Amino acid sequence: MVYMASWDEFVDRSVQLFRADPDSTRYVMKYRHCDGKLVLKVTDNKECLKFKTDQAQEAKKMEKLNNLFFTLMSRGPEADLSEVTGKEQTEAQPGKKGRGRKQ
Amino acid sequence: MVLLQLDPFLNELTTLYQNSTDKGSIWVTLKRSSMKSKVQRNKMATNGEPIEYRCLIRATDGKKTISTSIVPEGKAWLTVSLCFLSGKVGARDHQRFQASYATILKAHMTALKKRERKDKKKAAEGDKKEGDVKKKPKRV
Repeated sequence: MVYMASWDEFVDRSVQLFRADPDSTRYVMKYRHCDGKLVLKVTDNKECLKFKTDQAQEAKKMEKLNNLFFTLMSRGPEADLSEVTGKEQTEAQPGKKGRGRKQ
Repeated sequence: MVLLQLDPFLNELTTLYQNSTDKGSIWVTLKRSSMKSKVQRNKMATNGEPIEYRCLIRATDGKKTISTSIVPEGKAWLTVSLCFLSGKVGARDHQRFQASYATILKAHMTALKKRERKDKKKAAEGDKKEGDVKKKPKRV
């Protein structure tokens, strides 16, 4: 499986993958300090989605994905993600429009 | 593999990260699990019993593996009494665990690159100052 270039696509497809097969889908986060690399993987043993980064900025997004999967996996695949994803969207929008707008 | 309570898990996770700064990687896996064998699950399914799921969290450095699990908040009151016996997690701890977990990750993922490169300049300046101090030993 090739690493995915777009974070949003990675998140969307990961959630889809989990919802399609919640029992066998897992989410793995690999961190290598000496190389400063972070690799995220979501797989159901048939399909594998991967995302790789060395940016601290991406680690913040990864935290949100962690919370998303905590919610999905403990509450079930039908869990309401509006709490988790809602915040994500509102926070992501000002970032896209312009930097330095953060309060 | 050891199934730990939340706090011991977080402590062990911290040590895993601390011990892997020079070499090695750390894997953390999240998975939905019923913590029961397939046979047990099949039995429950045929008997029409509802299967309860939780979020299983495993962490490894390739040699040692630790794990813990999160119970869904709504159903936690059912399992609270069992929690103390079996290493499961109650509802209130759920949020706190997520926050502590995020803090640990933030504290240890320091090798990732930042956008601004001002830090490097500051660090270089800091080194110079230290060097100056060392060059001038005080003689009394």
